[in-house]
Amino acid sequence: MSETIMKVRHLGKFFGNRQILRDIDFEVKTGDVTCIIGPSGSGKSTLLRCMNLLEIPSSGEILYHGSCITDKNVNAPAYRSCVGMVFQNFNLFENKTVLGNCMVGQIRVKKRSKEEAREKAIFYLEKVGMAEYIHAKPRQLSGGQKQRVAIARALAMEPEVLLFDEPTSALDPQMVGEVLSVMRQLAEEGLTMIIVTHEMAFAKDVSSHVIFMTNGVIEEEGTPRQIFENPESPLTKEFLLRFRRHV
Amino acid sequence: MPEDFGGRIIYILQQYGPSFLRGAGVTMAIALVGTLIGCLIGFAVGIVQTIPVSKRDGLLKRWLLGAVKLILNAYVEIFRGTPMMAQAMFIYFGSAAVFGINMSMWFAAYFIVSINTGAYMAETVRGGILSIDPGQTEGAKAVGMNHFQTMTEVIFPQALRNIMPQIGNNLIINIKDTCVLSIIGTVELFYTTKGVAGALYTYFEAFAIAMVIYFILTFTCSRILRFLERKMDGPENYELAAMDTLAHTSGMYPFRKERSPRE
Repeated sequence: MSETIMKVRHLGKFFGNRQILRDIDFEVKTGDVTCIIGPSGSGKSTLLRCMNLLEIPSSGEILYHGSCITDKNVNAPAYRSCVGMVFQNFNLFENKTVLGNCMVGQIRVKKRSKEEAREKAIFYLEKVGMAEYIHAKPRQLSGGQKQRVAIARALAMEPEVLLFDEPTSALDPQMVGEVLSVMRQLAEEGLTMIIVTHEMAFAKDVSSHVIFMTNGVIEEEGTPRQIFENPESPLTKEFLLRFRRHV
Repeated sequence: MPEDFGGRIIYILQQYGPSFLRGAGVTMAIALVGTLIGCLIGFAVGIVQTIPVSKRDGLLKRWLLGAVKLILNAYVEIFRGTPMMAQAMFIYFGSAAVFGINMSMWFAAYFIVSINTGAYMAETVRGGILSIDPGQTEGAKAVGMNHFQTMTEVIFPQALRNIMPQIGNNLIINIKDTCVLSIIGTVELFYTTKGVAGALYTYFEAFAIAMVIYFILTFTCSRILRFLERKMDGPENYELAAMDTLAHTSGMYPFRKERSPRE
């Protein structure tokens, strides 16, 4: 039933002469929830940003339904409209209301009518529990609410894959729960997601596949049970151990 | 002619009131049109100057964009770096002498103020665009918007709000600086005042009137612009539409921030 949506092959990325990613290889199937974990500075976010072409990979390729999106003449905006992204710092449009945030992409990029866009926006805002706030501006919301709106904005484009770049890292501890519960619900509905996160309990619970990255390479990958209960690499063990001690 | 100061002011106003009003009208017309066109020039130049060039773009596009940016830079530096009074003389008299272009004094007046404001606004707009958090651009890109859509929907409205005080500044400077145009014979407020002062030999009184008129013009404009800024900010409060169930399950209450206007 599950078809491969994205395939990353031998991906490398340099910033100047510093190598951030080295020979990254993995694939994502329909309905997969892939969690990418690892210490800070290991290249997780860069990898995710490469997958949305916010960073241009230095080498290797990313295949989306078999076609290479790192090609020079690929229409990046069109590709991005199929692959949504949720950021650590929300990046909601400050000049628009909650509703406007969720409508503008649909109208300008998907060329939907205003009525349809509004209907869809409200549908997805209801899903994340923010339909009440359609008239509010981002600056009037709390962090958790902003992130839920950001998720609704991404969902309203009806993407095939949704990328999450540390969605709860900028939140107060009490607001983490509301965002994770939304993400958990999306996972249960079968949305394909790739999540960079430091929430180990969440990753263990929700993901179908876990990738552990360190120093710009994939150190270990497998099912959550494999990674969290029976890690092979000493680096994975050490990372998880340190996490447990802190929690 | 009355002996005391107040009497002379009233006398001048009775004699030359309509001339002062006409002068003030011309001043305002040049300042408003000049600021408006100047802003449009500034927006265009500022936007072109902030077009990002990436290595993925073709060589022709990069070369062309580089050339255009160079020309625009020269425009900004030259007009910002020379006095408007000198420009007025240079353009109005120079165009006729060297190029045989016979521009009317009115056209020259509007043209000089516009092109000057444009040079200043270009830098202001560039700064306004650069001041917007790069996250806004990334957010827009992530929903699939192209550069043009990102600019018009997200970046530009925010940049415009941020540079509103600077636009107001430019308008006020223009109201005052139109007096420079008296050098090419534009009959605006300063030119009128000089005429009146000379005719009655009442420099002190005539310029007292001019100062008051200039101040009323600038003060009114600055208040109107402040009002516009507040309008652009939108309401401080918002209405709730339904119930937020998720916030409750995580132990929170709906966020309803009460703010006094302009705290």
